[in-house]
Amino acid sequence: MSQVRSGVGEMLGVLFDRYQMPLFNFFYKLTGNRTMSEDLVQEVFFRILKYRQSYRPGTPFRAWMYQIARNTRVDFFRKQRPEVSWEPEMEPVVMPGDSAQQKQETDMLYRALLQMPEEKKEVLILSRFQGLKYEEIAQLLGCEVNTVKTKVHRALQELRELFHKPGSQRSGKGTRLEGTIGS
Amino acid sequence: MNCEQIAELLPDYLQDSLGHDQRAMVEAHLQSCDQCGEEVALWQKLSLLPEEQPSPALRARFKATLDAFQEGCSERRGVAKEKRSLLSGLLGGGWLRMPAAGLAWAVLLLVIGFLAGRSMNSPSATSTPDMAKLQSDLADMRRLVTLSLLQQQSASERLQAIAQATAWSMSEQHADPKVLAALVHTLHSDSSVDVRLAAVDALGRYHNQPEVRKGLLDALQGRQSPMVQVALIDLMVDLKDSSVVPQLKKFEQDRDVNPDVRKHAQWGIRQLI
Repeated sequence: MSQVRSGVGEMLGVLFDRYQMPLFNFFYKLTGNRTMSEDLVQEVFFRILKYRQSYRPGTPFRAWMYQIARNTRVDFFRKQRPEVSWEPEMEPVVMPGDSAQQKQETDMLYRALLQMPEEKKEVLILSRFQGLKYEEIAQLLGCEVNTVKTKVHRALQELRELFHKPGSQRSGKGTRLEGTIGS
Repeated sequence: MNCEQIAELLPDYLQDSLGHDQRAMVEAHLQSCDQCGEEVALWQKLSLLPEEQPSPALRARFKATLDAFQEGCSERRGVAKEKRSLLSGLLGGGWLRMPAAGLAWAVLLLVIGFLAGRSMNSPSATSTPDMAKLQSDLADMRRLVTLSLLQQQSASERLQAIAQATAWSMSEQHADPKVLAALVHTLHSDSSVDVRLAAVDALGRYHNQPEVRKGLLDALQGRQSPMVQVALIDLMVDLKDSSVVPQLKKFEQDRDVNPDVRKHAQWGIRQLI
């Protein structure tokens, strides 16, 4: 009996090993708050255990998992008392070996991302950082694939505007990177 | 092309899923349009944001909560067990067998039975997982893990999923039909030959199940790599499944089929007829 019981925990452990990092980064890039992100990751795994039967075989597992993650976050904010506000910690993005200019640009990009409206930020994070295909995001958001593509494009447009917003410590225009996708 | 037309292609360009011609069109536009060019540059720059590590405390907390969750299950079961043993002690006690007014005892027993029923149906008792419930929890979680691992991008992780599914199913009387269906899907559509070969091995054990058998035969008929076809022929010969003979005859006569597969098909026919 205890073997079976620990087997259930072991299975959850396999999923934890595999997905704690992507989930943490999903929440952290969305909220900018490390402590809250860890709380949310913890909660997601216990919801996976609780709602495991709602997963339909044959559908993308990640879309299901991120659906749980999104709901967890919505519930978390709903339960928060209004006076408690979760401010992004805005930790500096430290990457050894970067030039001062690269560091500044990365920091600005991070700030621009955090300033984005939730919906746009989320679609960008899912497609760029979590590596979800547009089809998976469409399943997750309950919309058409073309709608997801439009959302991604609009999100990028907004990111560009925020990146150049006065006060974001940036002057001049055009930081084009050489090179192309897939090359 | 103008920005509006490019906008329709840009998201697919970002995920590198455009054909050669469309990709060239987008790239030509990017050379001449600062705005679109910068959007692509920003998309690329996003990869500079590092992947953050959660603190080690997250794993420790997860483990602690999991332990508490499991202990919670056993505590509740312990309480129910106590209630049951108390009742059986009362019911099995010698004092009940003492000669006395039979009707009174019968009434008392009815009352105890009623209370016992209520006690077993109380929330704490119904939420107590018995063995069957735990077994089903475990099967659910194994299925979830297997199906999620079969969808991983890395072929080695998908191989690991198949190995685990095989190990688990050997410890159980019945293989999970949903896992078998996922394995059939893997056999048909996985991008890695190694993974498809592993799926052939794993599914071979369940050849007696009609869906698996059909999946194996369909895989042989479909477009497959010669290695997988040879493995499928070997499997069918091992299993003495002569229903594969018509397909092997087709291979034998088809000049477009890989010569090794044709030779193997001829061998298979000789073994099975």
